[in-house]
Amino acid sequence: MAGRALTPVDLADPALFARGIPHDAFAAVRATPGLMWNAIGGDPDDGFWAVTRHADVVEVSRDTTTYSSAVGHIQIYDIDADALEARASMIDMDPPIHTRLRRLVSSAFTPRHVQGYLESIRRRVAACLDAVVAAGGGDWVELVAKPIPIGVICELMGVPEADHDAMIELSDHLVAGTSSAPLDPGAYGNTTELRLLPFNSPAAHGINQYALALGERRRRQPADDLVTKLIEAEIDGERLSHSEFANFFRLMIFAGNETTRTAIGHLALHQRDFAAEFDRVRADRSLVESAVEEVIRYSSPILYFRRTVTRDTVLAGTAVAAGEKVVMWYAAANFDEAVFADPLRFDPSRPTPPPNVAFGGGGAHFCLGASLARLELAVLLEEMLARDLHLDVVGEPEYVDSNFVNGIEHLEVTVR
Amino acid sequence: MSDQVQLVRVVVDQERCIGGAQCELLAPDVFTVDDAAMSSVIEPGLLPRGLADKVVDRCPGRAISVVDAADAEGAS
Repeated sequence: MAGRALTPVDLADPALFARGIPHDAFAAVRATPGLMWNAIGGDPDDGFWAVTRHADVVEVSRDTTTYSSAVGHIQIYDIDADALEARASMIDMDPPIHTRLRRLVSSAFTPRHVQGYLESIRRRVAACLDAVVAAGGGDWVELVAKPIPIGVICELMGVPEADHDAMIELSDHLVAGTSSAPLDPGAYGNTTELRLLPFNSPAAHGINQYALALGERRRRQPADDLVTKLIEAEIDGERLSHSEFANFFRLMIFAGNETTRTAIGHLALHQRDFAAEFDRVRADRSLVESAVEEVIRYSSPILYFRRTVTRDTVLAGTAVAAGEKVVMWYAAANFDEAVFADPLRFDPSRPTPPPNVAFGGGGAHFCLGASLARLELAVLLEEMLARDLHLDVVGEPEYVDSNFVNGIEHLEVTVR
Repeated sequence: MSDQVQLVRVVVDQERCIGGAQCELLAPDVFTVDDAAMSSVIEPGLLPRGLADKVVDRCPGRAISVVDAADAEGAS
């Protein structure tokens, strides 16, 4: 390990993200030529390469042969082979099997197809904004950021409205697995060893049980939804197994829920911190599309994904060896001054390309729900502008204790 | 289309297509994505070089490639 440049701080420490993205730490790593090694727990042999520049994130994202999602784990910590197998969904797989699983649902998420959800999204957004206006404010996360994305993804999946709150709670407890706090292994009736569960969280058991019950209902009574699609899907003439189906369901609920929620939470902060920039959008609605991209870039809801190197190679001029971990810090690459001029400025007219990497740097794992997320945020922004809604943030946001999601737990606002 | 613009021919590798449909978004006259989210090229599959490069770059599945330069007079 001699000769490796070490990161100035442990980037995997959840405490580092307690007040949002640690821009200074990431800037220091980006500015250092080559790659820096992030040792874990003071052990120089255990750690990962910190990938923080935009170009390097794109390179890793696109080369699924050299940088595998199926080997090791896509979270920083390693898990045993049986655990990997038990919890695997397509996000933990490489092409070609990843491709075949993804294609089971991808038609529901194309840019053209998601337009079909427009009116439903607008109704959900309007109901949330009307509620927050009527109350004069409240917790922006509870009233707006949570219900919109979970409502939309549950509608696609076929989860009844009455169960949306339960999905939010279960999804939140999944994320709790990336915090430093210990979890109750018996929660949600869980009897599975935590190490076999995604995020080591008992909530995964709860979601999987829910998925299997809903799947059984759809088997008897099919509907026009993604659960029915997954139940009926065949790969090489074989249906998905129970665990394949449940893991797929869990991935969709989590990914459709936590990410857009995070962006909506940050949108309120952006309005506080960059009021003059938002006045430009109020004056020129043609900026909504680029403003949404800037909200996504600036909030970087997923902080990182990890890959594992499958063959000795060179990345950013640094030799990396087979078996080593590389961690793509999207939250760093999205503020790469080599790509984004004045990156800490929130610029609603920032040109694209270059695209930000909040949805990933391209390649097979590019966010399935990107078009849906953009649509939800665009409708929200449009409806806020239509109501001439101004938010005042009360106090400071409470961030989710996690090194994986840039989530906001609570954010009190008043409206005028 | 100006005869200054170089046209190229594009193809889709359906083994790699993940149904992201970015191609259809960028070049709806040349790509069509079916109900199973599989992309295919509407023949003759000719695009200006700049747009073709953009489509190739944006394809998440790395499924689209430029196969050859076409005769610019071959397209209207």
